[in-house]
Amino acid sequence: MQNHPLKRRDILKLLAAGGAVIGGLQYVRLASASEPVGNSKHKWVMVIDQAKCTGCGYCTMACRAHNDVPPDISWNKVIQVGKVGGKQVFLSRPCMQCEHAPCVEVCMVKASYRRADGIVMMDYDRCIGCRYCEIACPYNARAFNWKPFNEPNPAVPTWGTPEVPRRPRGVVEKCTFCYHRIDRGLSQGLTPGVDEGATPACVVACPVQARTFGDLNDPESNVSKLLTQYPSYRLREDLGTMPHVYYLPTREETRHEALNKAN
Amino acid sequence: MKRLIKQIRFNITAFHLWLAGLAAVMGAGAVAGVIVFARGLVVTHLTDLVPWGLWITIDLSSIAMSAGAFLLCAAVYILGLKRYQPLARTATYIGLIGYSMAILTLMLDIGRPDRFWHALVYWNPHSLLWEVTMCVTLYLTVLLIETAPIFGEMEWMQRRFPAIAKRLTGLHKLAPYLAIVGLCLSMLHQSSLGAAYGILKARPILYRPDLSVLFMVSAMAGGPSLTVLVSMLANRLTKRAPVDDELLKKVTHFIGWVLVGYLYFRVWDALAMTYTYQPGKTEGLSMLTKGPLSFNFWVGEILLGTVVPIFFLLNKRLRLNPILRMVALGLVVGGVVAYRWDINMAGQLLMLTYLPQQIVPRYTTYVPSLIEFLAGAGVVAFGVFAITIGIRYLNIVNHKPVEHEPEPVLEAEVQPAMGD
Repeated sequence: MQNHPLKRRDILKLLAAGGAVIGGLQYVRLASASEPVGNSKHKWVMVIDQAKCTGCGYCTMACRAHNDVPPDISWNKVIQVGKVGGKQVFLSRPCMQCEHAPCVEVCMVKASYRRADGIVMMDYDRCIGCRYCEIACPYNARAFNWKPFNEPNPAVPTWGTPEVPRRPRGVVEKCTFCYHRIDRGLSQGLTPGVDEGATPACVVACPVQARTFGDLNDPESNVSKLLTQYPSYRLREDLGTMPHVYYLPTREETRHEALNKAN
Repeated sequence: MKRLIKQIRFNITAFHLWLAGLAAVMGAGAVAGVIVFARGLVVTHLTDLVPWGLWITIDLSSIAMSAGAFLLCAAVYILGLKRYQPLARTATYIGLIGYSMAILTLMLDIGRPDRFWHALVYWNPHSLLWEVTMCVTLYLTVLLIETAPIFGEMEWMQRRFPAIAKRLTGLHKLAPYLAIVGLCLSMLHQSSLGAAYGILKARPILYRPDLSVLFMVSAMAGGPSLTVLVSMLANRLTKRAPVDDELLKKVTHFIGWVLVGYLYFRVWDALAMTYTYQPGKTEGLSMLTKGPLSFNFWVGEILLGTVVPIFFLLNKRLRLNPILRMVALGLVVGGVVAYRWDINMAGQLLMLTYLPQQIVPRYTTYVPSLIEFLAGAGVVAFGVFAITIGIRYLNIVNHKPVEHEPEPVLEAEVQPAMGD
C-alpha cells in the first residue's frame, strides 16, 4: 500500500524518538554548562584595596585608551560608596570575571565564554547583539555599542595607545582583564601582576597601587598573600557567581604595610 | 449576477481602504526599520540597564498568539478531534504569520542582524535563548509545511502551477506527524521564553521558576483566542468566511477554563512573593501592584484580561452572545500582551545594586521612542495585512466541509485494520 495511514504505534514511535531527542539535549546541556575553554595552570584574580583607592579614575581612563573604549562607555567604573571616618570610600568595578558567569551561561552563540585561566572573554566577531548578557549580568559590567565609534578616542594618547581592535556598532563589550597583555607577557616570559607589560592597564595606571593582579594558583603571588593576610569580600557573593575580583575593605592601614606584612 | 457584481464592488472598496490603511502603517514601519538599520539602535530609547523593550514585547506576544496552531493541530491530529480541522487551518496560518512577525521584530532588535545565522551555527545548548531560537526555527519550518496545502489550494496556484499546487496540497499527508513535532517544539519554546526571564539571578522579580508555566498557560489562552476572534470577525466582515459556530463556542469554552487555570497560577505566583521580604523581589511586586505597572497589572492583566473574560466565556448565556464573546476574546489577547509587557518591564525597571552594605533596589525608566513605536506598528500591521490576505484569497477561515480532500487522520481512526 502506498499511502500508509498513520497508526497509533507510529505515533508512539515518534513520541519515543522525540523523548530520546529531548533526553539527549538534556545530556548535552549538563555536559556543556559554561565549561571553561582550554587549559591553564593560572587563575587570574584582581584585588582592589578600598583603603588606598582615592577615586581618581586613572584606571577608567587607562582602560579606555588601552582597550580603545568610547568615551560614553566605562569598562571599569569608579563609584562613590559612602564615607568611613569622614573619608570618602570608592569602589572601582571592572568585570568580575565570574567563575559561574551568568553572561556565559545565557549567551546563545557562545560569544561570551570563560577561559580556563578564569578570564571571561568576548568574541566580538560572533556576538549578534541580543543583549541577553546585559540583562543577566548582576554587576552592569557590560555595555552595548548603541552607536558606531568612529571619532578619535579622546583618551589616546594621553592615557596610552590602543592594543585591541575597536568593537563595531551592535555588539556588547566588556573588560577582559587585558587578556592581550597577559598572553603577550606570558609568551615573553614575563609575570602578570609583577611585570608591567603583562599586567592589566588599570593596575599599571593606578597611582596609589590600590590594585593588585596575579595568579591565585600561585601561593607566593601578591594576590594570594594579600587574600590570606587580609579580610576580603566579593560583590554579591550571595548570587554564587564567584567573582575573580576581590575587595579589601577600607581600614586605617595602607596597602604598603599590608604587603610588607604579607612578605 | 448584477447583484453579485455590485456586492463585490462594494466589498472591494471597503477592502481596499482597509488595505491602504494597513499599507500606510507598514510603509511607516518600513521607513522606521530602514532608519534602525542605517543608524543603529541608538534611535531607540533602550539603554544598558533596559536593553529589552517594546520590540521584545511584540516578539513574545506574537509567539504567544501563535499558540493556537500547535494546540488545535494537536487536538485534530493527536486527540483525533477532527471536526476542529478547519479551525486548525486558521490557527496554523495565524501561527505562520505570528512567527514571521517575531522574526521581523528580532531582526530589528538584535544589534547585528547580519549575523542572525550565528544562532543556528554556534550553539550554546545551555542558553534558553539558544533553545528558543532552535525551536522557533524548526517550528517555523513545521508551520511552512503545515500551511503549504493552504497555498496549494489557492485557485491561482492551481490554475497557473498545477504541478506545484498538487505537491503543496499533498503535504497534507504529513499533518499528523507535524502535529506531534509541533506540539513538542511549541511546548519547549513557549515555556522556555518564560524561563529565559526566570533564570535571571540579576533580576530578583523575575528569578523564579513559575514564569515558564505562566508563559505556557497564558499562550494557551491567548493563541486560541486570537484564532477564534479572527474567525468570528472574518465571518462578520465577509461572505467568504463561513464558520461553524458550534466549533467556535466549544473552543471559547475551553479558553474560559484555561483562563481559570491561568488566574490560579498568576495569583498563587504573586501571593507566594508576599510571604517574606526579599530584596528586589518585594519591591518588584509592589511595582506591579502599586507602582508604575499597577494599571497594567490590575486592569489589563487581571480584571479585563482574565476575570471579565472568564465570566463572559464560562457563562453559557453570555458566551452565546457573539458580540460579548468577541469582546472577551479581544480582552484575553490584550491581557496576554499586557502580561508580556509587565514581565519584561518589571524585570528591567528595577534591579538590585551590587554595592556592599547598599544592596538596594535601583529604579530605571523606559518609554519607547517614536521609531520603536513606528517599527513595532509596522510589524503588527504586517500581521493584520497577512491575515486579511489569508481570509480573502487563501480561504483560511472556511468551515465548509471539503469533499475532495480526505483526512489522513480520518482514515487512520476509522479504518485502522485496513492498514495493509
